[in-house]
Amino acid sequence: MTQIALHNINKHFGAFHVINNVSLTVEDTEFVVFLGQSGCGKTTTLRAIAGLETIDSGEILIGGKPVQDTRVEERDVAFVFQNFALYPHLTVFENMAFPLRAVRTPKAQVETTVRRVADVLQIGGLLNRRPSALSGGDLQRVAIGRALVRNPKAMLMDEPIGSLDAKLREEMRVELKRLHVEQGSTTIYVTHDQIEAMALADRIVVMHAGVLQQVGAPEDVYANPVNLFVAQFVGSPVMNVADVTLAEDAGGARVTVAGATQGFAFPSALLGQVAATGPANRPLTLGVRPEAVRLTLQPAPGAVATEAHIIEPLGSHDIVDFRIGDATLRARTKAGFVPGPGVPVWVTLDHSRAHLFDTATGQTLGIRL
Amino acid sequence: MAAVRTRGEVIRHRLSVTAVLVILLITLAPIFWITATAFKPRNLATTMPPTVFFEPEISPFVKLFTKRSQLREPPTEEVYNAAPWWEKTVFDGGEKVVRSGRGEVQPSGYPSRFLNSLIVAITSTVLAVSMGTITAYGFSRFKVKGEDDWLFFILSTRMLPPVVVAIPMFLMYRAVGLNDTHLGLIILYTAFNLSFSVWLMKGFIDEIPKEYEDAALVDGYTRMQAFFKIVLPEAATGIAATAVFCFITAWNEYAFALIMTNRRAQTAPPFIPSQVGSGLPDWTVIAAGTFLFLLPVAIFTFLLRNHLLRGMSFGAIRK
Repeated sequence: MTQIALHNINKHFGAFHVINNVSLTVEDTEFVVFLGQSGCGKTTTLRAIAGLETIDSGEILIGGKPVQDTRVEERDVAFVFQNFALYPHLTVFENMAFPLRAVRTPKAQVETTVRRVADVLQIGGLLNRRPSALSGGDLQRVAIGRALVRNPKAMLMDEPIGSLDAKLREEMRVELKRLHVEQGSTTIYVTHDQIEAMALADRIVVMHAGVLQQVGAPEDVYANPVNLFVAQFVGSPVMNVADVTLAEDAGGARVTVAGATQGFAFPSALLGQVAATGPANRPLTLGVRPEAVRLTLQPAPGAVATEAHIIEPLGSHDIVDFRIGDATLRARTKAGFVPGPGVPVWVTLDHSRAHLFDTATGQTLGIRL
Repeated sequence: MAAVRTRGEVIRHRLSVTAVLVILLITLAPIFWITATAFKPRNLATTMPPTVFFEPEISPFVKLFTKRSQLREPPTEEVYNAAPWWEKTVFDGGEKVVRSGRGEVQPSGYPSRFLNSLIVAITSTVLAVSMGTITAYGFSRFKVKGEDDWLFFILSTRMLPPVVVAIPMFLMYRAVGLNDTHLGLIILYTAFNLSFSVWLMKGFIDEIPKEYEDAALVDGYTRMQAFFKIVLPEAATGIAATAVFCFITAWNEYAFALIMTNRRAQTAPPFIPSQVGSGLPDWTVIAAGTFLFLLPVAIFTFLLRNHLLRGMSFGAIRK
């Protein structure tokens, strides 16, 4: 039963504001992922929760109790480090028993607990080895095992699978999810990999420059990014963005990419919604994910004509690059849909999945069509 | 390690192996000389050209450990036959072992000097390494105001040759009564080695990832416990390397030992050559004393050789 709450946390490294007024509540048994680029303050926030960093102001509550002034060893949280931080001079068994020995657990109980956790993680056969004799995946399992033996109030993970190779990372991702479902401990997980975040999180917390950008369920963050940063950080390939101008055209709306001669036709409701948020002639940025861009090989009404530039075949689908005006956009198509570079294509957009952002502030206009 | 090598590289490799062998021979020659002399009969020790093949004797060691005086005339047959085998070797060399009125053999000054060397070197090494490790840990892990200045200051204590301060140190020691005491030498050698120990240990501790301690802290240990349970074992290599260097420095130190001590706390280095002056120089006894004196360092270094090798390349490989 552990809720973790952050109230207006601030921290500076010299003049650098690493954590800027962060407030967040992580519910009991929830799996929350901090997502952001390196240097965005996500790891520092995690270390502050663990007590490995002090904070300048604000309050950290674990299980309802303020802990910002308590020492690390009294906070009863487990931490999985990016480089695992397994003690090289101790065997796997001793590494996992280490937290238990801190609280003087009886010998028999240490033995049974370590073996039980080792079995859950399928590393029962490695207990007598040294960390240096283990593969990356096993190192990670031991590191997680060391965190689990104690039944900590919360699990804090700092890019725990970031140093593994791609295939292993995918495997471990599934395993982490399974473990969380089985153990149900409150977990905060830090990563810069948005796929990991999408796959694991109950809620994603997107951080940038020390500031929380958006907190929400993965699908929500993906579908409704609140600003350009989140829009471009979450999702792969990245969301297309282009500076656009808005105009009325034959009873509808026309969205024209800067430098383009043709514009995309939009329902006229767009004009009203934009006007409701501010002057319609201010600089706007259009954001649309590649899967919301439709290509046809014949002219279609309201479509913008261009030609395919680069085609990336990815097996299940292709990513097609093309230029409209000053912008390079990408569309996701069926595999082999566009026969080759230089082929003329006509582009339409899925209006319900198009986003408009205020270019100056980067904030979404919140338009829904 | 089976990389392809060109002919030029093979030749260069052979040349460097030859160079290493030559340097090794030059380095080992004095040690061989000392060892050989320690087992030579006295009359063969100073021949020119040097005697290379001889029948080894134990008499230099017997003489090293006993007090002797010159024989004016050869011992009577009765005395000679009654003497134990080792005493006969002394008689053979034209000397006799000094015995007390009750017939007890009088020991030379060597065993007590050797013991003094052990006491002083071991204690000062333990002190210098432990204080150095803790200091280095502090500099490595915490923000210390003026850290670079402090470290430079610590290093600067090594910048002038120690002998420069020998006279003032002697006067200070005499004033406080530390002359010719074990404590005096231990303090002196600890002070010499401390700066070296801090710098060396800081390098080693800097290489230990901070995450190990962070992990120990979240595992429920205090920083002190983390230091003893994690940092010390991880720094074992560095501690071994530092200890060897400190021990060698303290063990071999000559100038201060000569000035500061003369009897009670005198170490072996000033004592061994002092025998040159008593009677005619007996080089075999000096060689025997030197030979035994080399052993502790050799054994200590040999025992720690694995740590030393790792220590030398520490930090060169990132896992």
